[in-house]
Amino acid sequence: MNELPNEASAQPAKPTIFFDGVSSRRRQVTLALGYALEIVEEGGSPVRWAYADIRRADSPPGILRLASMSAPPLARLEIRDAALAADVTLRCVRLDEHQTTGRGVAKIVGWSVAAAVSIVCVVLFGVPLAADRLAPLVPKPIERRIGDASEVQVKTIFGRNSCEDAAGKSAFVKLVNRLRDAAGLDDDSMTAGVLPTSVPNAFALPGGKVYVLKGLLDKAENPDEIAGILAHELGHLKHHDNMRGLIYNGGTSFLIGLLFGDVTGSSAVIFASRSVVEASYSREAETAADTFAIEIMHKLGRSPKPAAELMFRITGKEGGGLTSILASHPLTEDRLARMTKEDRPASGPPLLTDKEWQALKGICGSGKV
Amino acid sequence: MQWTPIGSEPLPPPLPPTRVDFSGNRTEFRKLVTKGAMLELVTFGFYRFWLVTDVRRHLWSNTALDGDAAEYTGRAKELLIGFLFALAILVPIYLAYFLVGIEFERWQGFASTPLFISFYAFGQFAIFRARRYRLTRTVWRGVRFWMDGSGWAYSFRAMLWGLLVFLTLGLALPWREASLERYKMQHTHYGDLRGDFAGDGWTFFKRGWWLWLLSPVALVIFPLAPFFYAEFKAREWRWWLDGIRIGDVSLSSQLPHNAFYGLYWKVIGWWTLLSTIFAAYLGGATLLVVKLSGLPAEQVFGPDNTAKSIPMLVMMVIGYFALALAINIIMRVYLQRDLWAKVLETVEVHDIGAAADVRGSGELASALGEGFADGLDVAGF
Repeated sequence: MNELPNEASAQPAKPTIFFDGVSSRRRQVTLALGYALEIVEEGGSPVRWAYADIRRADSPPGILRLASMSAPPLARLEIRDAALAADVTLRCVRLDEHQTTGRGVAKIVGWSVAAAVSIVCVVLFGVPLAADRLAPLVPKPIERRIGDASEVQVKTIFGRNSCEDAAGKSAFVKLVNRLRDAAGLDDDSMTAGVLPTSVPNAFALPGGKVYVLKGLLDKAENPDEIAGILAHELGHLKHHDNMRGLIYNGGTSFLIGLLFGDVTGSSAVIFASRSVVEASYSREAETAADTFAIEIMHKLGRSPKPAAELMFRITGKEGGGLTSILASHPLTEDRLARMTKEDRPASGPPLLTDKEWQALKGICGSGKV
Repeated sequence: MQWTPIGSEPLPPPLPPTRVDFSGNRTEFRKLVTKGAMLELVTFGFYRFWLVTDVRRHLWSNTALDGDAAEYTGRAKELLIGFLFALAILVPIYLAYFLVGIEFERWQGFASTPLFISFYAFGQFAIFRARRYRLTRTVWRGVRFWMDGSGWAYSFRAMLWGLLVFLTLGLALPWREASLERYKMQHTHYGDLRGDFAGDGWTFFKRGWWLWLLSPVALVIFPLAPFFYAEFKAREWRWWLDGIRIGDVSLSSQLPHNAFYGLYWKVIGWWTLLSTIFAAYLGGATLLVVKLSGLPAEQVFGPDNTAKSIPMLVMMVIGYFALALAINIIMRVYLQRDLWAKVLETVEVHDIGAAADVRGSGELASALGEGFADGLDVAGF
């Protein structure tokens, strides 16, 4: 039993515990520090761990917990005596080799910054490029399906049926056709209509759908005002702005979400950065659509200025500090200034006769909305 | 705490209940999360995998059961890789969601809204798989915990119970929790010991039904809400701990019903303080910008002056990040570390001798589940 009395007496009072990684049995052991660390359980065969294989495992304060690269992965040796622990630590030269060091952290920071920079570059340059190139390539049927889906939504919000007064409708069709011809859009798919709601607005949907809301007709004072706005919406169609926006917004929100992940309050950051980035993209598209509208109106020999005046009547002066960074459209006063610059005396015939104009204004019937 | 080696003799007679000791140093933990939160900011959040791993390593290794501390063997790189894999899988799913959504919308406006539920189901799946990852990285006495069972079967249960809870305005919640916990625990193993959950919905219901009745009051008198929530959480924790079984080992807890009042109010107090400081900072920054530019305030923030408001914007962003960082630290210190310590000091373990000689088994699970949980924002601890 006591063949090694000198070693037994050298053992500290606090027990050293060994778990062999196969069972949860708690084995009280003694250590022999020779060429390798020898773990001896009374009545069992000793286990040898080479010093170079020994690594530190997480432990509470006051306990040195060791694992070995060549033992079962969960085998653990727990030394509770400070002097013995110091002795063993001294011999295990590669004890902390696997821990994350300052250099490791610097590497993480470096790679994260690189990843962030690349994501930002993709958001600023890659995604807009992809959106511009891909949008015209989206097959017409898919575009039309998306348009159909949004049309159903729009009609759920703004009223089930578009306005159908016969005289008004023929005036509207005449106006739209003249603009479409001037714009050079393929006619196979384009549809346009007036929806009975008092909201003053107009919009284009994917697949060549243009809608004017009744509220806009009520505020308009002459056909040129409506024509300019319609021309602007046709510009969106011509430039595939819907599909571009869809690809662009999907791409940026995915990438920005990836970037900020799970930092507390990240949704606010994601929301803010998305708003800024997307607003600037949308402002560009709006400016391009304005350019297009100016061209069309000039081609028809009419001035683009009335449309901007109509917008100004609706929105009033908009400018103000931070909000302009977040605005999805150029400021109305800037658009008015630009269209005023492009104002030319009318050289073409009026787009609608007075009678047609009155019919258009009454397209939804009177006093319905 | 003397422990006689068991050798080959039969199981020892039942011992008095043992306690769980938490030896974590609070200052050390605070430093750990402060450093982690700062690195998280610098790395645009990518450091979160390392931070969450460090937090778990700290909590696990300082939790000692019957004199032996647990260990968390998961590593951040696994989480990062799991997250990237999860993204690769989630992207096509998002695309499919979008395309199916379009078909639904064509048929009827806003008909695709219920499709959102499929993401909830996926989130439940992720919760189950994330738990499996964490459990297989939990080691005690050289033997790991592990889990079998199916994430989708769990998700299906969670959905059905979720529907029932919705239909009963929350009254079925105790039974939902009991059923889901039973599924999770019955598929939990420690070596060759199998887990179980002995809690039942009725017990939980009896402990908390009046909170359900009073919850509308908290909507009106909202300072009461933290009390109600703390009360609910404490009762839930105690009921949950009382139900846990691993083989013949069982847990019980004497967690007092008012145990969390202090924690929640401290968090609210800090939050109020920090928001006040943030507001004052914004006010100061505005004054500074106005002073330095030498223009009247209306002009600085007026139209055509976007360029001049950029310094203001930068100061706002810096302030916001500092606020997020501070709140991050506070949440982790109070709601993770302090809550952990508070709960553990009430836990008693019975018949721990049953776990004295358990044979290790079970395979490591991948971190994909945690990746999904992260990608879908349902990550827990």
